[in-house]
Amino acid sequence: MTVLEAREIEKRFGGVVALDRANLVCRQGRITGLLGANGSGKSTMSKIITGVYSADAGEIHYHGKTVRYRSPNEAKLDGIAMVFQNLSLVADLTVWQNIVLGAEQASGLFLNNKAAIEQSREIVEQLLPGLDVRRMVHELNPGEMQIVEIAKAISEDPRLLILDEPTAALEQAQVKSLFQTMRELVKKGVAIVFTSHRLWEVMEICDDVVIFRNGRNVADLDFSKDVKDPETIVSHITGEAGKAKTERIRRRENQEIVLRVSNLNYGSFIRDVSFELKRGEILGIGGLAGQGQHELMLALAGNYAGVAGEVELNGKKIKLNRPASAIRNSILLVPGDRQLEGLFLGHSVFTNLIFPKLGLKAQPLFTPENKYRKEAADIVDVLSIMTHNLDMPVNSLSGGNQQKVVVGKWLAFDTNVLLLADPAKGVDVGAKRDLYDYITEQVSENKMSVVLYASDNEELIEHCDRLLIMYEGQIVASLEGDEINDDAIVATSMRVR
Amino acid sequence: MKNNSVLKRLISNPDFSRLLILILMFVLTAVLQRNFFAMRSIVRNIDSFMPLILMTMGQAVVIISGGLDLSVGTALSLLTCVLTSVMRAGVPITGLYALVVTFAVAMAIGAINGVGIGYLRIPPVIVTFATSFIWLGIALFLRPTPGGETVDWFQAFYRIRNIETAPAFLKAFGEIIPPSLILILIGCLVWWIVSRTRTGRYIYAVGGNSQSAYETGINTAWVQMKACMINSVFIFLTALFFVGQNGSGDARMGDPLTLKAIAAAVVGGIALTGGRGSVFFALIGALIFSFVSKIIFFANIPNAYQTLFGGLIVIIAIAASQIYTLSSRRTGQESKLT
Repeated sequence: MTVLEAREIEKRFGGVVALDRANLVCRQGRITGLLGANGSGKSTMSKIITGVYSADAGEIHYHGKTVRYRSPNEAKLDGIAMVFQNLSLVADLTVWQNIVLGAEQASGLFLNNKAAIEQSREIVEQLLPGLDVRRMVHELNPGEMQIVEIAKAISEDPRLLILDEPTAALEQAQVKSLFQTMRELVKKGVAIVFTSHRLWEVMEICDDVVIFRNGRNVADLDFSKDVKDPETIVSHITGEAGKAKTERIRRRENQEIVLRVSNLNYGSFIRDVSFELKRGEILGIGGLAGQGQHELMLALAGNYAGVAGEVELNGKKIKLNRPASAIRNSILLVPGDRQLEGLFLGHSVFTNLIFPKLGLKAQPLFTPENKYRKEAADIVDVLSIMTHNLDMPVNSLSGGNQQKVVVGKWLAFDTNVLLLADPAKGVDVGAKRDLYDYITEQVSENKMSVVLYASDNEELIEHCDRLLIMYEGQIVASLEGDEINDDAIVATSMRVR
Repeated sequence: MKNNSVLKRLISNPDFSRLLILILMFVLTAVLQRNFFAMRSIVRNIDSFMPLILMTMGQAVVIISGGLDLSVGTALSLLTCVLTSVMRAGVPITGLYALVVTFAVAMAIGAINGVGIGYLRIPPVIVTFATSFIWLGIALFLRPTPGGETVDWFQAFYRIRNIETAPAFLKAFGEIIPPSLILILIGCLVWWIVSRTRTGRYIYAVGGNSQSAYETGINTAWVQMKACMINSVFIFLTALFFVGQNGSGDARMGDPLTLKAIAAAVVGGIALTGGRGSVFFALIGALIFSFVSKIIFFANIPNAYQTLFGGLIVIIAIAASQIYTLSSRRTGQESKLT
């Protein structure tokens, strides 16, 4: 039975066409994958269905009647719930307060908090056993926040559930339990729309897929009839004929040590971490989500003043107690959460690209605007950042291109160590390839040294020369060469071995 | 074991430092003010603290909802002018009319600020800065110079014993529990009720992250408007006290309270970014603020330096609680990551 049908939806933001006569059909008891590169209009479609945006043209039929929601509240009353990509949580409230937010039950005049806590605990227990619902949301790590966001949508007991990239911040085990929950919901007759950039997830969970490119439908595949072929899907998404997976090149061994970290400690996040990074090497950091990897990256970038331990760069002792000292030593960070850490979202591409320069000591009194503009234009060229011009605000770019700007802002510097903290989080297949191609090239040609933390094991397997696995703030395993495979990573992450 | 962890949690609570500061201020005042514990001084102190306390609590509600109200001072003045314009001396029933009319005006004030902040999405500072002149203009129109008429029983909001016709037991009651304290308790009760309803939760949600709140299906504009109207209730209560005390309306009397209330809210741990803080701790902030002025008054500091010292003490109080907060957290970066 068709639950929802969106027909010929059009939506423009300013001059940019986000959706161009796009269609989407969801059926009861089925999981529909909504796929496409960043900026292809997936999120826009979801937000139109839930009433966050209103469509310029087209119609939506929901349970047989034409609907046009003017606010998320109206959609919710009709049983449509959405998990937002950029989370719709209020950091200053507790987990359970967030889960029941907007749907609080009152007994008499006052809110029934006891029932709300009980209900929240029940839902959270399915997804992530052991998460205390009384904790404040701002104390949680990104994976836990994502779980809370999902729990919030499920608590509304929806008939149509839209999950917009719910797995980007989750580790494998959490994804599995999410899938388990999704299957149970489907059995109860819920229709689900699922968006993800990880193909294996789509392959595993979806019954059919709809693929968008540049706001249009390019393919509708029903897995009960059509073949499940990842290559075809990728080619639909990127619009390019199936490219052979880039063969992984093992780089030549180089013994020169660039960065030596010994006995690094920071609270309970980082405990006695020691490692060496060689020139022209990509050193991976893996493990379950939230085991201190993110904190380790931030510590190396000088974000924690209270970090203890010794760091040597090219044989010279350095202090990393301020971001500025890391940058002056050319240890540069590309943070994963570009929306929060890497960019000034409302500012132009140009401003973002030149900003690190302004922090240098030798900076002329007046900013040489023309010179910098030329340099910025070069960077845009080199990284093939898709933007109309340099003055576009960064938040008008798609996620992948935003991430390229984060990388681009360090290009003018001589890099000793590049720290990549989950750089491809929420970045589409094409942009991800561009990004890693560029970094691999820098590593093999300019002998750049990279520390890469990725939540997706596939990225680690594909790019790392060596891989360190972290568990509860400690390094528990080091994998090299052919040892770097999915089985080994999972086994060491869970401390099976 | 359990006791230990309760104590630990209390100490690690950032609000603990505010309580410590309050106790310190209290002790200092008690030492400096003669007869601090005499009934008369206690009543007088409550009287002099009461306007700032209520105004701070009201302001705190608006700040938590993500707004800021620069018009509270002139709104207070306007309400005193409305009260004294409706009342006719010697006609007791006009006092009742005045209460109803003024309450309606107070709600209208909140609603207008709320429409500007919530529905028109004009920055709160701009809206309320503009409306503050509108309130002042109307107040000056009603009462170009301080004055106006009141009914006799209106003094019940200040000193029951001043009403000659009041029964003796009420007079005695008013000596023990002054009307100003009752007004504060009414204010606390109002917030206590609101904080246990959806509205209370939504005020925090909207102030904490209005986009998320909207996507969750909360009518954010309406919530912000309600926050402004709750603020109006507190202003209204304060106006009753002023008219009871002075027996007149004054278009200029409320001005100094505006910024004091904001500062006191910050001392009480209300984050100006919205979504964080407790209205009852705003009350404590107002108390700290009030004790500071008492201390300065009684410490025989030369007149010329009183304002200077007042400012310094407030800054030290805020900085102390800030440092305490940072050091008791696990990491200083936590707030940055969220």
